[in-house]
Amino acid sequence: MKRLLIANRGEIAVRVARTAREMGIRTVAVYADSDAGAFHVKSADEAASLGGGPPWETYLSIPRILEAARATGADAVHPGYGFLSENAEFAKAVAAAGLVWVGPSPRAIETMGDKLRARAVMEAAGVPVVPGSRAGSLGDADLEKEARRIGFPLLVKASAGGGGKGMARVERAEDLPAALSEGRRLARAAFGDGTVYLEKLLEGCRHVEFQVFGDSAGNVVSLFERECSVQRRHQKIVEETPSAALDPKLRAAMGSAAVAAARAVNYTGAGTIEFLVDRDRRFHFLEMNTRLQVEHPITEETLGIDLVRAQIDVASGEPLPAAWRDGTLAPRGHAVELRLYAEDPVDFLPRAGKILAWQVPEGPGVRVDAGVDEGSVVGLEYDPLLAKLVISAGSRGAAIARARRALSEWIVLGVETNLPLLAETLESPAFASGDYTTDLVESLPRSSAGEPPDAAWIAAALAQNAGSSVTPATHEAVDPWSAPSGWRAGA
Amino acid sequence: MSADRLTSGESARVVRLERGAAHLDDRRVPFEVRGNAARAGAPIEIVMDGRVHRAAALRDGDRIFVWVDGRTFVFEREQRRRTRTASDHSGDLLSPMPGRVRKTLVAPGDPVRRGQPLLVLEAMKMEHSIRAPRDGAVRRLLVREGDLVDAGVELAEISS
Repeated sequence: MKRLLIANRGEIAVRVARTAREMGIRTVAVYADSDAGAFHVKSADEAASLGGGPPWETYLSIPRILEAARATGADAVHPGYGFLSENAEFAKAVAAAGLVWVGPSPRAIETMGDKLRARAVMEAAGVPVVPGSRAGSLGDADLEKEARRIGFPLLVKASAGGGGKGMARVERAEDLPAALSEGRRLARAAFGDGTVYLEKLLEGCRHVEFQVFGDSAGNVVSLFERECSVQRRHQKIVEETPSAALDPKLRAAMGSAAVAAARAVNYTGAGTIEFLVDRDRRFHFLEMNTRLQVEHPITEETLGIDLVRAQIDVASGEPLPAAWRDGTLAPRGHAVELRLYAEDPVDFLPRAGKILAWQVPEGPGVRVDAGVDEGSVVGLEYDPLLAKLVISAGSRGAAIARARRALSEWIVLGVETNLPLLAETLESPAFASGDYTTDLVESLPRSSAGEPPDAAWIAAALAQNAGSSVTPATHEAVDPWSAPSGWRAGA
Repeated sequence: MSADRLTSGESARVVRLERGAAHLDDRRVPFEVRGNAARAGAPIEIVMDGRVHRAAALRDGDRIFVWVDGRTFVFEREQRRRTRTASDHSGDLLSPMPGRVRKTLVAPGDPVRRGQPLLVLEAMKMEHSIRAPRDGAVRRLLVREGDLVDAGVELAEISS
């Protein structure tokens, strides 16, 4: 591999480029024209335009990405996460163009992307799944019978969905027929496939995932867990490893199940098995993500490894490192990831803007994987993740203290972020105790930053007065994103 | 210097600066600044009552972003905010981003209240509610569930 095209944007494109550079591989960024000045473009050795238009004509366009690979002479493609990373057609097209695909086989992507089929394959492999409807039950009558067996409340889920997308909660039997037809319509509209199935709604659960890794020689290993229960709107915001919910016995059992799950689809490269752990400490397969995960750095920090390097090595036909295969790899200390989103701190809706001041935390045990820099324009057409703060320390308590210290150093001006929510999460007694479930964020007081102290009012008044004499430059710089459609972010 | 009425979330104050002191509503608070407060976003120190507060602040149009001692606040000048809210009404039934219409919540002819969600747009993993700009009725709904829309596309018409 000499020239790697990174078919993504934002922090993950920057992160992949860093490792590739360390390996002596030239990197090619791709960008939608509105992203020409984006941070990920500057972080690569060269860049190719995908033209203008909405995401499905740029970062989601297989022909345009392959054309960019041809034009730049790339010999490999890394998909990152999101966008086309779990698109089996893309994986096939990359291979058909004679390029190395840094990811699992199209077959593994397809099997795991069809959530109903994945459940069946997991059951056959002896991996416990969330109680739900059988693969053959598709019509209303069958599903109503299955619903009585499973019990309420339950979820209607899109088979082509996943990642918290395309699901609806049903409390009572009489609401099921309407929920099924609504679910099918939404699934057809959103994923092009109206197939739905039922899953028992397990409440008070923890969301714990296992990193798995396979190579083309048939080795598959577990690289331990990540606790992902801090979520809002089914999206994770804080992850940590190890999970306080697991003891060595449960960890070993889940690790074995994760390896069995990956083996069942002859998995190669980096993948993640997501489980729910219920109140009785039973675990259930939820889904598999057939790509690098957003929160992969906490695994890297506690194991002292580079998952992107391993992805590239495995894609080039090399076996997994010996230390991964012989069981000597063991986590050290504790790591926490906090995701910084451009969003309203109170209603969580995405925010657009321009980052006018950006100063990231530093010091021991602090890693920032950012997709933006001072001057970056944040639009609403992409995922609003700006950066990830990854903290490592000798113990969980030390990691939380370090995370609080680091958050208090982070200066982001010009776009609203979830910094207050992240700080509140770290302060909450439930998070401090380690004993929390996916309900944690909802249980926090939904305040904004709170009553500003006197110094904040004074700083605001100083900026207001300073602004009147200096700002034409600042002001103009913001216009490009606000002018075209005349709307307001989050309206 | 002139007084500004500033708001942040639920809080509002009239703030007036004079040499060496600020008036927060009717309270006089002596302070001293170290650093260049005239440069937008530059780190400064505000010294009050012998305590040093680290700060950075800048104005962006109608909003003022302030970072103080590890916490971030967004302020608005009140009369400007009112102006902006009024001017918003012309364009807010346009699609704010390219995305997919995930859900339509009203039908033509339905009466709607100001702020009522009309439809839900989805882009990447985020949902975004499009709300009625004023009381009225849905005259036309120009998109259907599942439609892909560009930014700036008209989504619905509301009659007063």
